[in-house]
Amino acid sequence: MTTYTICIFTENTIGLLNRITIIFTRRRINIESLTVSETERKGVSRFTVVIKHESREEVEKLVRQIRKIVEVLAVFGYLNDEIVYNEIALFKVSTPLGSKPLDVETINKQHKAWIVYWGLDYVVIEKTGDDKEIFEFFAYIKQYDILEFVRSGRVAVGKTEKGLVEYLPEAEWAYYL
Amino acid sequence: MEAIANITPDVIETTPSAQQAAPKLISGSEALMMSLIAEGVDTIFGYPGGAIMPVYDALYDYQDQINHILVRHEQGAGHAAEGYARVTGRAGVCLVTSGPGATNLVTAIADALIDSTPMVCIVGQVAKKLLGTDAFQEADVMGVTMPITKWNYQITNSDEVADVMSKAFYIAQSGRPGPVLIDITKSAQLELMTKPFSYERCQSIISYRPRLAPKQEQLELAAKLINSAKRPYVLVGHGVQIAKAEEELRIFVEKTGIPVATTLLGQSTISTDHPLYVGWLGMHGNYGPNVMTDHADVVIAIGMRFDDRVTGDASKYIKQAKVIHIEIDPAEIDKIIRADAPVVGDAKEALKALIPLVEPNDHTVWRNEFRKYDTIEYETITAPELNNPAGKIRMAEVIDLLSTKTKGEAVLVTDVGQHQMMASRYYQFRRPNSLITSGGMGTMGFALPAAFGAQVGAPDRQVVAIIGDGCFQMTLQELGTIVQNKQPVKAIILNNNFLGMVRQWQQLFHERRYSFVELQNPDFITIARGFGMDGQTCDKRENLSDALDTMLAHDGPFLLEVIVEKEENVFPMVPAGASVSQIRLK
Repeated sequence: MTTYTICIFTENTIGLLNRITIIFTRRRINIESLTVSETERKGVSRFTVVIKHESREEVEKLVRQIRKIVEVLAVFGYLNDEIVYNEIALFKVSTPLGSKPLDVETINKQHKAWIVYWGLDYVVIEKTGDDKEIFEFFAYIKQYDILEFVRSGRVAVGKTEKGLVEYLPEAEWAYYL
Repeated sequence: MEAIANITPDVIETTPSAQQAAPKLISGSEALMMSLIAEGVDTIFGYPGGAIMPVYDALYDYQDQINHILVRHEQGAGHAAEGYARVTGRAGVCLVTSGPGATNLVTAIADALIDSTPMVCIVGQVAKKLLGTDAFQEADVMGVTMPITKWNYQITNSDEVADVMSKAFYIAQSGRPGPVLIDITKSAQLELMTKPFSYERCQSIISYRPRLAPKQEQLELAAKLINSAKRPYVLVGHGVQIAKAEEELRIFVEKTGIPVATTLLGQSTISTDHPLYVGWLGMHGNYGPNVMTDHADVVIAIGMRFDDRVTGDASKYIKQAKVIHIEIDPAEIDKIIRADAPVVGDAKEALKALIPLVEPNDHTVWRNEFRKYDTIEYETITAPELNNPAGKIRMAEVIDLLSTKTKGEAVLVTDVGQHQMMASRYYQFRRPNSLITSGGMGTMGFALPAAFGAQVGAPDRQVVAIIGDGCFQMTLQELGTIVQNKQPVKAIILNNNFLGMVRQWQQLFHERRYSFVELQNPDFITIARGFGMDGQTCDKRENLSDALDTMLAHDGPFLLEVIVEKEENVFPMVPAGASVSQIRLK
């Protein structure tokens, strides 16, 4: 099974998420993760969908079916080495009085993770990176009591030098910010 | 699409009472009426109900400009709109209420999507403040229809109406046509617009840009393959008629001398007596065209999507051939069969551009190879079916005689099953756009309302529906619509008291275990008379010709029931999952 990251640029309209996910559901393709946000261009949303599939050909067909949706502006299917990508994970770790102290230096320097919130008897640690790095950190921090763990969907940009606007149909795209 | 001047309330003709009462700012319902008029809509198939009543109230003032046809069931509205769209090439329009009104339309919407039929469905919805509350007759129609529409949209604000409707018609009718559904809340129908109404026809949508003109390099590659082919073969789908490219197709094949087969929906694109026409493809298509598919070295597929009913086992289909796929929908390229030369664009544009690039040719030897299979098919199947004086009337005889009597000029609208395949096998189409059938979805109950819609769309043509006894009972209430609207639709029920195609499969593949396929049928002619339609039954071969004459000469709609052989099979047949070369003659 190969991991594919599918980036879908769309108009920002109600119900589009449903229309897109139906295309995966109908083909019995499981979505590993999904992230949606507005891009730097006003009115353009970007869906980043991660799937695993054994057939590149089927993924190409999937991409073409997604492109058929009226509100979809552009779609790209990427392999991992064609993109720069990251996820974010938050770990809520128990730190009651008398427990083993956290090795903050190792957390920071070795794992590039940061404590972002200090509670009374717990801390929240943020770790960004690819899934491998996040699970390496998970394995390390497991020695402490993990109260909660949450991982986001993948965000990704292609390694091409082109900007988003060059992939979109011609129009006067305004910046969102 | 031509640009039109802005439409304002002043330029829309209304009844005197409406003019007197016309407010400066109009309601969403009136805006909807004006949008339809601006789009040139002359006919709506619909059924009123609570959540669409304000639109119906507005429609009352525009009856002289928009012909509303009250059907008997919303599914009938959908199929009638499909029939209308298929003969006119313009979007069929349906108007129904919320909840069950909309869900009753769902089958027709799915049918229209798979057969690329332009349709605009306007559906009432509960008031905006009630959305999501499980209100009376509320259904999530947007969710339900998302996978079966080309586009759908919910209007919750009267100011949106004009823009959304213009988009709806543009999307439904352009590129690869399809159904669009507009869900409009009752509050949006009732509330006044905050700005004066104006309408501009949609010319483009930034995220939706169907490619009409193919790329030159794609055409050149295709032409190179065609010019070097020894055994080229053209497969024509419905897309050629959608693109109105029948003439370009004829010129193309006559110049290149390439034999032409059609898909089921592609039938009537080229006259069946054209010397280059070799028959139709698929599970119950002709023998030669199916077998010869495996002998071609270059296949030119135009406006077709390699449906599994055409390919049989796709993994064994045209492996030996180079494939040129001319198709407006890029998602169809490589979907089932990998194309060596994909040509993305409108069939008319593609053929026009291709004609000067191809060299004149004459593939006589190759073409003649089809003929020997024709002879086998004729001797094994056709002749016995047409010339067997014993037993009950056969479906083939009815269609063959109908074809002769109508000179192949009728619009044939068929339902789904054995009669559909027999109609396709034995009717000799002489004019384009003459077979309207539910190809992709295989919707039983399609024919009667679709024939009605086709007759409304093509009042000058003879429309004949060929219907099975099972299919008829799915939408027979539309007899009432036909009678009320005085449309001269002729309907032939080929009655074998069976769900014939299922029975055939049970016979061939389930050891004759006829599981729930025999019908206790009503007296169809009494039913027709109950609706006010004339009709008669024919169960003797010697009366068949007179019965058809009576039907065709009848002034107005007519139902002819023909009692046919009970256990008749449709051959040739490619068993499901087999390769096309494994086509069976018996």
